[in-house]
Amino acid sequence: MPLSDFTRRRFLAASAATAGLTVGGLPFAAPALGQGKGELRIGLLTSLSGPFASLGESMRAGLQLYLAQAKDGIAGRPVRLTVEDDQAKPEEGVRKVRKLIEQDKVDIVCGVIHSGVALAIRDVVAASNTLTFIAGGSANNLARKAASRYVFRPTKTNWMLGSTAGTWAAEKISRKNVITIAADYAAGREYVDDFVASFKAAGGQIGRQLWTPLGTTDFAPLLTDIAAAKPDFVYTFFAGSDAVRFLQQYQDYRLAGRIPLVGTGAAFDQEDVLPAVGAGIKGAINTFHQSPSVPVAANKLFVDAYRQARGRLPGEFSTSGYVAGQVIAAAAEKVQGDLTDKDKVRDAVLGLDLETPYGPMTFDPKNNQAVLNIYVNEVRVGADGKLVNEVVHTFNGVRDPGATA
Amino acid sequence: MAGNRSTLVLSVVVAALAVLPLTGVPDHHLRLVAEILILGVAVMSLDLLIGYGGLVSLGHAAMFGVGAYAAALFATHVSPDLLLAIPAGIVAATLVGAVMGALVMRSANLFLLILTLLLSQMVWEVIFRWRDVTGGADGFRGIPQLTLPGGMAIDSGVDLYYVAGVLAVGAYLVAASFVNAPIGKALVGTREQPIRMTALGYSIPRIRLSVFMVSSAIAGAAGALYPFVNLYVGPQVAHWTMSATLVIMLVLGGVCTLFGGFIGAAIYLVFQTHVSSYTDRWQLVVGLAFVATVLFVPRGLGRELHQLLRPLGLGEPRVTAETDKKGTVR
Repeated sequence: MPLSDFTRRRFLAASAATAGLTVGGLPFAAPALGQGKGELRIGLLTSLSGPFASLGESMRAGLQLYLAQAKDGIAGRPVRLTVEDDQAKPEEGVRKVRKLIEQDKVDIVCGVIHSGVALAIRDVVAASNTLTFIAGGSANNLARKAASRYVFRPTKTNWMLGSTAGTWAAEKISRKNVITIAADYAAGREYVDDFVASFKAAGGQIGRQLWTPLGTTDFAPLLTDIAAAKPDFVYTFFAGSDAVRFLQQYQDYRLAGRIPLVGTGAAFDQEDVLPAVGAGIKGAINTFHQSPSVPVAANKLFVDAYRQARGRLPGEFSTSGYVAGQVIAAAAEKVQGDLTDKDKVRDAVLGLDLETPYGPMTFDPKNNQAVLNIYVNEVRVGADGKLVNEVVHTFNGVRDPGATA
Repeated sequence: MAGNRSTLVLSVVVAALAVLPLTGVPDHHLRLVAEILILGVAVMSLDLLIGYGGLVSLGHAAMFGVGAYAAALFATHVSPDLLLAIPAGIVAATLVGAVMGALVMRSANLFLLILTLLLSQMVWEVIFRWRDVTGGADGFRGIPQLTLPGGMAIDSGVDLYYVAGVLAVGAYLVAASFVNAPIGKALVGTREQPIRMTALGYSIPRIRLSVFMVSSAIAGAAGALYPFVNLYVGPQVAHWTMSATLVIMLVLGGVCTLFGGFIGAAIYLVFQTHVSSYTDRWQLVVGLAFVATVLFVPRGLGRELHQLLRPLGLGEPRVTAETDKKGTVR
């Protein structure tokens, strides 16, 4: 790992300098390696085993890429990154976040993929006033009743994707005879409910709603139901390996190309889903805050760097790790690297106006939630024959309604 | 004689654990030890079924989970008083255990394993689907901290540690007295010589039902405290994989020892929490440790510890699992 070399070298240099000063007759002038300056400790809590393992590895790679690019550390402070595996289990997430705060004494906690983990650790980080950047878990509640003063979320909420999909689909695809199929857990319920709400508000009618447990391997009964019902389109949410299996079987049952697919971007993730499914699903529409084709300079730079580092296009979680690093760094620069006054850091985050690989990002002061562009992506076959998410429409500056919703 | 010595050793262990917080162990480590004690109690209750009764159950998490949800719901909606919430969990788990016991008391071996597995999955399904009450897949949040009868909150790791310690000692005493009571002896008898026991006039189903209820009550007590460690409880606590984890902990620690449950829980949780900080492949390490245990320490670490303590006058536990010639217990 180049990063650890880097910090070790810097640490040795700093020790040598300190020793030099001491020998030079200035025993009391040694720089204070205390709270304000010195090492900046970041704890990354992510899923490196369990159902979200590949997503977690992408998130870690994204953050490491950012830190490797920030050669001089963040706001002049060398960074020490501690990565912990929450195993996609809320109990384990709580255990690990306590370890990060109490044992590793991190200045900042970031990461988290599973919404359940995000909600479970929320009370722990809130009780200890730890600066926290939720880069993945997108449960609506964290922007609403469970919002907390020092918990920031530099990514989307489920509502931002579900509601834009409903609006777009009602306008561009069909207003009737829709089937929803999604993984039966918090995220799936929220995506589908928000989709249904905005779809109905736009005059749409919902047909059957199908749910399958997380980790379903055989979608056959549901796919035959879909084939029999002949809906105008199917709205779907699955994540990780569930999404891969669903899309593969959707093609096996010859539904691809006959019944249009609309979904959340996670079900068509550029990095963790699309490479594993066949070209049959081209034409699928998804709403997402990320795409390799987002037309901003920051995204082009990131996509190129990530391709060089890992040889593939970034998806949501590698981007989320990178953006988390970018937001942390931008906020830390604004307070000259001094994170001791947390209200100052909070003001700095809320005052950010960043260009990230997601596009422009600002924060909503009422719930610390990022305001983001939401893109309508179409899955197309790229020049190299591989599937790629192309932006076909942009909803600018989508803002979660917050606690009033 | 040996009994006095083991009481002495037990007292020394308890005393050492009692002063542990004074040695400056960080708060989150104490929470982990509290969790080990809680899961150890659950494994110990499973030992009554598997070790002493020869009843290999793959549904023990149902009772643990019901105890956990019952206590969490009780604390949230009625009262967070320790002396009310924990009994609520015990009562709920005992009821479920009584139903499960009544349904499985006439079966044994593989049928018992499958029946307990299926019944516990039904319990899990209820918890998973009943989202208005249990929070469904997202788990149950917003649990208040337990309070002592005076109203003092049990919030720090130290407090939880002591409560878990009292629970562990209490549960151990209950389990040990059950094992040493006539019904405990009869239970071992039904494991070793079911036909002879029937001929002697014992009702095997009735004995099995009793051990199911006692074991469920202890598991429920452990489950009842569990949500308050992290102020969160998710449906995984009642899932069959949790039952399997309890069985693994039992094998690691040693069947038919009672205290082996604590050793097994400690090994498993420390591995899970600490090895995963160093490698993504922590499950491989746990798996290898399990394989190594089965190959080299087939009787579990708890029994080996017994062996090591022999010079102190602590012999083998009086009831051993190896005597089972049919191999239903290992």
